[in-house]
Amino acid sequence: MGSGAAKSRYDVIVIGGGHNGLVNAAYLAKAGKKVVVLERRHVLGGAAVTEEVFPGFKFSVCSYVVSLLRPEIIRELDLPKYGLEILPLDGTFTPMPNGDYLWRVNDHAKTRREIARHSRLDAEAYEEFGKAMLQMCKFVKPILAMAPPDPASFSPRDLMKMLFLGRRFERLPEDDKYNQVQLMTMSASDFLDQWFETDVLKATMSASGIIGTFLGVRSPGTAYVLLHHYMGEIDGAFRSWGFARGGTGTISNAIADAAREAGVEIRTQSPIARILVKNGKATGVVMQSGDEILSDLVSSSIDPHQTFLKMIEPEYLPDDFLEQVRRYKFRGSSGKVNLALDALPDFRCLPGEGPHLRGAISISPSVEYMERAYDDAKYGSYSRRPYIDVVIPSLTDPSVAPPGKHVLSCFVQYAPYKLKDGTWDEKREAFGDNVIDTLSEHAPNLKNIIVGRQVLTPLDLEREFGLTEGNIFQGELSLEQLFFLRPVPGWAQYKTPIRDLYMCGSATHPGGGVMGAPGRLAALTILNQLKNGAK
Amino acid sequence: MADTRDVIIIGGGHNGLVAAYYLAKAGLKVLILERRPVVGGGAISEEFHPGFRCSTLAHVTGPLLPKISRDLQLKKHGFTMIEPQARVCSLAPDGRALVLYQEASKSAEEIAKFSAKDASRYGESQEVVTRIASVLSELLTQTPPALESPTAGDLLQLLKAAKNIRRLGKKNVYRLLRWAPMAVADLVAEWFDTELLRATVAARGIFGNAVGPWSAGTGAVLLMWAATDANLAGPASFPAGGMGALTEAMSKAAREAGVEVRTSHEVSRILVKDGEAKGVVLSDGNELAASIVVSNADPKHTLLHLVDTLHLDPSFVEKTRHYRCTGTVAKLNFALSDLPRFTGFNGKLDRSALSGRIHIGPEIDYLERAFDHSKYGEISQEPYLDISIPTISDSSLAPAGQHVMSVHMQFAPFQLKDGNWSNRRDQLRAVVTRTISGYAPNFRELVLGCQVITPEDLEQTYGFAGGHIFHGELALDQLFTMRPLLGWARYRTPIRKLYLCGSGTHPGVGLSGASGLNAAREIVKDLR
Repeated sequence: MGSGAAKSRYDVIVIGGGHNGLVNAAYLAKAGKKVVVLERRHVLGGAAVTEEVFPGFKFSVCSYVVSLLRPEIIRELDLPKYGLEILPLDGTFTPMPNGDYLWRVNDHAKTRREIARHSRLDAEAYEEFGKAMLQMCKFVKPILAMAPPDPASFSPRDLMKMLFLGRRFERLPEDDKYNQVQLMTMSASDFLDQWFETDVLKATMSASGIIGTFLGVRSPGTAYVLLHHYMGEIDGAFRSWGFARGGTGTISNAIADAAREAGVEIRTQSPIARILVKNGKATGVVMQSGDEILSDLVSSSIDPHQTFLKMIEPEYLPDDFLEQVRRYKFRGSSGKVNLALDALPDFRCLPGEGPHLRGAISISPSVEYMERAYDDAKYGSYSRRPYIDVVIPSLTDPSVAPPGKHVLSCFVQYAPYKLKDGTWDEKREAFGDNVIDTLSEHAPNLKNIIVGRQVLTPLDLEREFGLTEGNIFQGELSLEQLFFLRPVPGWAQYKTPIRDLYMCGSATHPGGGVMGAPGRLAALTILNQLKNGAK
Repeated sequence: MADTRDVIIIGGGHNGLVAAYYLAKAGLKVLILERRPVVGGGAISEEFHPGFRCSTLAHVTGPLLPKISRDLQLKKHGFTMIEPQARVCSLAPDGRALVLYQEASKSAEEIAKFSAKDASRYGESQEVVTRIASVLSELLTQTPPALESPTAGDLLQLLKAAKNIRRLGKKNVYRLLRWAPMAVADLVAEWFDTELLRATVAARGIFGNAVGPWSAGTGAVLLMWAATDANLAGPASFPAGGMGALTEAMSKAAREAGVEVRTSHEVSRILVKDGEAKGVVLSDGNELAASIVVSNADPKHTLLHLVDTLHLDPSFVEKTRHYRCTGTVAKLNFALSDLPRFTGFNGKLDRSALSGRIHIGPEIDYLERAFDHSKYGEISQEPYLDISIPTISDSSLAPAGQHVMSVHMQFAPFQLKDGNWSNRRDQLRAVVTRTISGYAPNFRELVLGCQVITPEDLEQTYGFAGGHIFHGELALDQLFTMRPLLGWARYRTPIRKLYLCGSGTHPGVGLSGASGLNAAREIVKDLR
């Protein structure tokens, strides 16, 4: 190409240096491709970043726990070699307004005794439930690792996949089939009602069904996400939830290091203005600086709104497709409050420092509490009493705070992106106060120990991290946006209507969470395509 | 022996009557045992105030399956369907009214008063829904395939269904896949901008169920209803003489086919021996033998109360217990001295506009808030009302010049947080009266009498377990191959010779009679 030295040429340009973009790049480079990753911000990781918000206090600013990172990715990219270390997050502690609490830990016998304190029947059921969920995980796991078939297609490849799914289902024992269809269709609350009677237990378990969605615990379709809590166990790589040592950013850095070693070039502070399209084929990108970078193929890890509505001229895309993209729902529903503390919070129901502070602390005292939190959001205001998932990573990983001090992270739901009254810029501090007030009802000393506070509203998540409408999963994980419908029907296989333009972010199957699966599956699809194209 | 027969049907609701007819036509000797003094179940007409009659419970019917109407020769047995001019009149708090008709073009003219854009899109949406509904309607009269262990026949049927669905074209297949799990609020927002129109169309997705328009899966329920009547405005037709006229005609047809009907005969138990149904025990202690027992009662009542659960696998019992069947509906029937004057028509009486259903629930959020109350065991303070004034088209129901108003009220949760239903009648009546008066200020003065049917009455008097008018929630996890339970969606039960034929089986939607028809077909198949 004789068009000038300013233009460099790559096999693949990956847009966005979030964990999926990095995974995608690493796999492509390992297969011998010349890859460049272009990241808009000064740090890599997208929503999986560690930032020193206050001097000496390091926060996993957005995503704060790991459980879903696919073990095959950890293995294939050899991430522990690049500094990835997962520290266990032991248990979930739920304070209750009546002065009691529910404290589940990873030790089965202990948890059983604790649940039995609330209900003997539930203690029995908990064992059964765990076993049933494991069975379900075994069924779902390969689905997470496969590119979805197109149900409206007659191609042998798609038909085979559909058949594969059908036969797997057919072979399940009767009770498992029953559980499986219920999980796919029911609400978390209805599903758990069948197993348990203890309100606080149901409320805390159901919380995992609503994270990142604009749905309530009683909304159908939320039961499915309960499974994810059990997914870590069968992988055997680590149990349930954990922290990355040094914060979630370490995961991104480890993946980035693995990618670099495989030959990937990574550029930060490199925002893109446009994707170049010529004769229906992606040919590279134009940077905001005006520079052009050319490539055979472009892989976008940012969401479909940004990719197709902002970076590509509409005339290159079919109207039908554009309409579907516009309909793709984000609806961010959560915010984050990060606190720098000079002491530990002291919970009224279980005073003092103790191992209960080392796990997740869940403000989810009853199913009604959870549902009312959702009701507020439905009508456009943040929850007066929100569901809060609190972690204090400095207890497990002292490196993230100055000696004797702590960082505390709150995931807060619901905080709807679209407010009925006012703007998030006006409401930011009131929202933060509301979270602190809610927590103070359980830990009265909290207000006195705060030395720094960062409030991230859905609007901030959008501005800072490029998460459209503040949705942490790049689009709602609701039934009509999952599997072969993610992100839009007919385009769930990482391809797009533009030749050589691919999607590899959380907006593709199997979706959000620091999982890495979309990045990997997209890379495999691309490599497959290249092999077939090369003949 | 005089006391044996081939089939006993427990319950003479419309599905029981339809099943009885087809079984009798297949040469079987059938006996229907109805607990109440009249047959009809939820489709009955009663005098609730001296001189005033109306459809006690259900007040409109989608079109009956044409096959049933034809086979049972309902016309010959005195049944006439009234098709009012309007389908639905939806009232807005600002005093406006949106009237939708049978023809989409006429509806579009009305919608144009609110939004020209919506008026033009209404026809398109109606066309697409009609197209998809036509394929779905074929499923209504099919027995759901046995997904868990498909036979060659099942696979063929599945393949045929898949082929039919593919016939829709790729675009519509994707629509169907997307729409079904969606919240009906999202679905109507894709179609229209006018809030009143959105709420009116969306209401069909939540009618009779414990869901709000923002509940996921209500899209599927809307499509199920569309399969019975594709008009986005919903059905409006009802039988002359009220809903009871329909079941009386069915009962006549059944008797003419040789069915014996005994009313005021309550079954208290189903006799089971060695895993096989042998007959029933009546509440007076008498036993009646039969080779086959068919229950038109709901699955919970049938399998947990009429059958001794000792005969069932504990895991089946557990699943049946978890079958979701808790109602949220109350019914109020008013005797009125005159037609109420709705502000929506500038004080004029537009009888034709009011001849169909009247919808109160002007916004999606209004409907959702009405539902919110019920989640916490409270009665909606501003309820969603589905109203019919049948006397506009059928003057035989009330004294000359006077009217009856039938009101389906949502949400009135079967399980109240505080207190019980026996002392909440007045509250229900007050809430509904207040709500209607907001749209028709002179309503209160016209009321001569009022019958209040609480969710508890629905269970106690009319036999709907949990007060659920559809014999169980219509939701993604309880439809088609999962109605009532996965593995038991083919009208059979774990007890040999015991069948289900009520709304707790596929398709379960309203007064189509399809459950009765499908059950009878399966029973006859088993006999061969």
